[in-house]
Amino acid sequence: MILPQFEYRRARSVADAVALYKKEKGKALYLAGGTDLIPLVKLRLQAPKAVIDLKGIEDLRIIASRGGSLSVGANVTLFDLKKDPVIAAHFPVLIESLEATACETLQMRGTLGGNILQGTRCLEYNQSLEWRKARGFCLKTGGKECNVVRGAKTCFANYCSDNAPSLISLGAQLRFTGPGGERTVKLESLFTGDARTPFAMEGGEVLTHILIPLKKTKGAYEKLRVRESMDYPLVGAAVSVIDGKARVCVGGVGGAPRLYVIGDIRDAAAVRDVAEKASADAKPVANATVSPVYRKKMVGTLVKRAVRRALAEGKR
Amino acid sequence: MKTIKVSFNINNEDVALDVRPYETLLETLRERLFLTGAKEACGLGACGACTVVVNGIPLRSCLVLTPEVEGATITTVEGLREDGKLHPLQETFMEKGAVQCGFCTSGMIMTAKALLDRKKKPTKKEIVTTISSNICRCTGYKKIVEAVEEAAKRMATA
Amino acid sequence: MKDDLNIVGKRVVRSDSLAKVTGEARYTADLTFPGMLVAKVLRSPYPHAKIVGIDVSKALKVPGVKAAVSGFDSYGVKWGVFRYTQDHAMLHTDKVRYIGEDVAAVAAVDEETAMEALSRIKVDYEPLPAVFDPFESMKDGAPQIHEQYKNNINIHINIDVGEVDRAMEKAYLVREDTFKAAGEAYAMMEPYAVVASFKNGYLDLYMPNAGPHVRAKALSNMLKLPLNRVRIRHINSGGAFGGRSEVAPGDLVASLLAIKSGRPVKLVLSREENATSSRQVHDIIATIKTGMKKDGTILAKDYKVIYDGGAYSSTGPIATSIPFYVYEECYRFPNVRYNGYRVFTNKGIRGMYGCHGRAFLAGNEAQMDVMAKELGLDPVDVRLKNGLKSGEMTATKSKITSCGLKETIMTASEKTNFRKRWAKPSRLKGVGMGCVAIMCGFPMGFRSGSSCYVKINDDGQVTLVTGLVDNGQGNESMVIQVASEVLGVPMADINLVNADTEVTNLDPGAYSQAAAFVGANAVRVACENAREKIVAIAAEKLKVKVKDVGLKDGSAYSLKNPDKKMPISWVVREAFFRGEPITGTGSFFPNIDFEREWVTRPWGQMAGTFSFGTSIAEVNIDGETGKITMPRFTSAHDCGRAINPMAVEGQMEGSIQQAGVAAITEGNLWDGGYLLNPNLLEYKVPLACDMPDMDTIIVSSRDPAGPFGAKEGGLTVRMNAYSAVACAVANATGELFSELPLTPDRVMKMLERKKGVKG
Repeated sequence: MILPQFEYRRARSVADAVALYKKEKGKALYLAGGTDLIPLVKLRLQAPKAVIDLKGIEDLRIIASRGGSLSVGANVTLFDLKKDPVIAAHFPVLIESLEATACETLQMRGTLGGNILQGTRCLEYNQSLEWRKARGFCLKTGGKECNVVRGAKTCFANYCSDNAPSLISLGAQLRFTGPGGERTVKLESLFTGDARTPFAMEGGEVLTHILIPLKKTKGAYEKLRVRESMDYPLVGAAVSVIDGKARVCVGGVGGAPRLYVIGDIRDAAAVRDVAEKASADAKPVANATVSPVYRKKMVGTLVKRAVRRALAEGKR
Repeated sequence: MKTIKVSFNINNEDVALDVRPYETLLETLRERLFLTGAKEACGLGACGACTVVVNGIPLRSCLVLTPEVEGATITTVEGLREDGKLHPLQETFMEKGAVQCGFCTSGMIMTAKALLDRKKKPTKKEIVTTISSNICRCTGYKKIVEAVEEAAKRMATA
Repeated sequence: MKDDLNIVGKRVVRSDSLAKVTGEARYTADLTFPGMLVAKVLRSPYPHAKIVGIDVSKALKVPGVKAAVSGFDSYGVKWGVFRYTQDHAMLHTDKVRYIGEDVAAVAAVDEETAMEALSRIKVDYEPLPAVFDPFESMKDGAPQIHEQYKNNINIHINIDVGEVDRAMEKAYLVREDTFKAAGEAYAMMEPYAVVASFKNGYLDLYMPNAGPHVRAKALSNMLKLPLNRVRIRHINSGGAFGGRSEVAPGDLVASLLAIKSGRPVKLVLSREENATSSRQVHDIIATIKTGMKKDGTILAKDYKVIYDGGAYSSTGPIATSIPFYVYEECYRFPNVRYNGYRVFTNKGIRGMYGCHGRAFLAGNEAQMDVMAKELGLDPVDVRLKNGLKSGEMTATKSKITSCGLKETIMTASEKTNFRKRWAKPSRLKGVGMGCVAIMCGFPMGFRSGSSCYVKINDDGQVTLVTGLVDNGQGNESMVIQVASEVLGVPMADINLVNADTEVTNLDPGAYSQAAAFVGANAVRVACENAREKIVAIAAEKLKVKVKDVGLKDGSAYSLKNPDKKMPISWVVREAFFRGEPITGTGSFFPNIDFEREWVTRPWGQMAGTFSFGTSIAEVNIDGETGKITMPRFTSAHDCGRAINPMAVEGQMEGSIQQAGVAAITEGNLWDGGYLLNPNLLEYKVPLACDMPDMDTIIVSSRDPAGPFGAKEGGLTVRMNAYSAVACAVANATGELFSELPLTPDRVMKMLERKKGVKG
């Protein structure tokens, strides 16, 4: 499967990357591991005039503690992250979601930044141009309505990062540098809620660092999938517990992960309520390999299970 | 579109090529260097049949742009033999019956090679985790796991 | 049968594996020829539409484009495996019948140019109403997909033995259930590819195929070329599993482009195209009614099975029959009625599959267990009671000549402590057993046999020439091993020339489980004939009796005094001197009733012999998520004698993956005529981490006619592994499955149904 034509640019620094982006008049895409981007371009779901390779930027590969946070460069690969002793000691939820991401080979190429900024997925969307032309374009590809839910004007594509829910549960923030300068945002506020354009980002912004509050946590990540490797989550539930307070984040259903807070993790009723609420909030549709009714139910099941395991310190 | 100059070392040989900026490493290997051991089975990174080792990391070459490997050291299945002698993985894949149709074999061997290069004595579970990056349609994987285990043993005693 | 064999029965390294581990093995897409062009196919975006016109003229104007073709450039000859199923012209000029169907194609200097050219082809379609569900398709007034098939019923197989209705009345227990299964993807790792070149009036073709001779015949018909002008060449094949048995549209497309351009043409399908536009596997809905005596004896079976056949006949009558036959070859049915319907829909073409028939077979076996339970019987006893034995006839009059069914049941159940565990399953844990038999070859007219020519060269090395095909299962190595045994020449000294229609003779191919029983038998006979000549000269030279000559390690020696020996090469040179070089021909034609016909006369000897197998799955179900895990899987297989036990195990293990674990992961997903998972991410081929611990047991029954007693190796597991899984899930949940694959959502439904939860 050949790629469409585009130019290749190599950025030496973040500033260089942003300058290149401006030079390409915004018709460029940033390239890190490429494990999400290249398939999208091959399927003609993205049509950049140029790709700007960020892998040469040293600063984006550094893990360091800074001011009470662990700062993870966006280009650190998922595999390297898994082996980081600080992460292992502080963020069990993240270790579990990293383990659960794709497969080992893809973890060695895929970066944390790329994992967070991966596109939303749908059985009717992640298809070749020929396939989609034959089907008729859906909302996300410029059509008038959703191809999964007939008549719907909402896009139901799923945000399938395993690690974003974990990071949200940990209270992570993202640092961007773009044409308009630098900014830092909470990860949960990255999302627009519209699965067509899932991220609230300015054109040309580079995700440079992921900042995780450096506190010891308990946590667990539960992932529903058909195969134990390679598969994206059909539902993902991340739980992190700090001082008895739990942050629960559900991914894999709809265009944005959803965050819930449980004041006292030992309050069984509160846990049940959040699980039920998460399940009620989830609006899965028939765009993944198992039934939507089931996925909806599993949201609650996985939340409860993740909480249970987080309390048992990760024991399965 | 203008081509890009790319240099890298492949199977102990330095090469300098003019490639399309949007050319994948898999295309370069197969069409320019005639190294057809790496296969295109899915083209989207979902199967691992195109895996080659780049700077010690197993990469799905269908997802890598050739300009990205500037300056890299690359090993493909064709470069595994040393002085005509088969790599232990090549021997054990044969001896254990880990090869059937053979279409996944090079990717599978290269994935396993990267594991054995970074880990001297992998557990069976680690081997299973590693090769769960690759699809084999024929074997049920049992003999592949056995072949990797046996190769690890041979490499440890070598 | 002698047991003192030198190499047959040994775990030998397969002859093809060195090239495969070094990356040197060539597959079709690896080939390059001077001046070779790249082809691309324009496909139908409609599930059903009239073709008003196709204009390729603008495509031809794109610089670098050397040829463009559509059905208007072909003779419009419709191919069919049978005279009465000729409905597939490969490139049609009247209608398109599924999304992804080949409509036109170009050949250009590179892929980018070819893609650009495709976008310039203008096709005028008049969309027609389409139908995707076989039940809808059979209704009066449904869109007619082919003129000649009323109600879109492509094939109706009716088998009626005994008096089913009366037997049902007499039965102590009668049960009827309906089981569904999604069609699978072959998902062979190698996407279909073809290279065609036309020079001096000869068409040379390379493609992964399971039968070059039948392919050449089809192309010779469609291209109106004499058969000798179409030469299918040998090439490695990256898996077939039934999906490379027939001539493919790409074969015709590449041939037409090569003829038009005068240059070699390569067409490589994408993974998506391989899924949508090569072959798919039938979706099946099987209604199974069984009447049993109180003691578990099956009195009667009444079947209605619907096969969603997609848009064309393909192997229609065979596909509509095989699931029934592999079951009746396993159990005794005094009264049985089978109504199999293959129905057209506007979906991709469905072909035969190694694991074909899972709704039917798993349904039968799971239902048997539920009935056994109701009667207070044990599944092992019920299977032993109903299982066929050597010397018996099947319901449709095939004689079973060797049968290790009982041994496979006993060994597998004893090794797993099956009876005890089945009787008292722990919560959400279960064990299940599936049995089946497989015909080793089936009637294919004069193509049912195989032949071999062997010559011994002046260096004592051997060349075998045979039509036998290898799609990755190890058939090539198997016949080299057989020749090595007979001739006493090491495997490394035997070259094989095979599956090349110019030089090799007819062979049934690698899709009817005939390679070992038929193909290897022909090799054995040819080598025995050559051996006789070697032995005659050697006896004379060694001054011993003919019966006292042995052949081993490239030498002829005296059995009585092994020190007395001479290299076979000396014998060969002597033979050359005498003007009678050492060569041998041999053939094998199985004992099949050739009056037998799939539709009109479904009885008589089906195959020369039958293999048998039993699988036992152990499952654990997560009660909260419905997810099944399989800690262990045990399969016992009567393959006669395993020529290479390591290769047979490999077949069995692969079958556990492709049928057993697939029963919880694999199925094509559809949105009307759109295939939703034509890729390897959303189509779930099991991964290493999804595999159970596997125990494969080879049971030997030594078939009297098989080469060294061999029958087919591995396919029984491919057709009973899902049954074992379905039975294990029934054992764990107390519920019968209704649809495969048993993805967690479906299992959850079963658990809820059990609990009486609605929804």
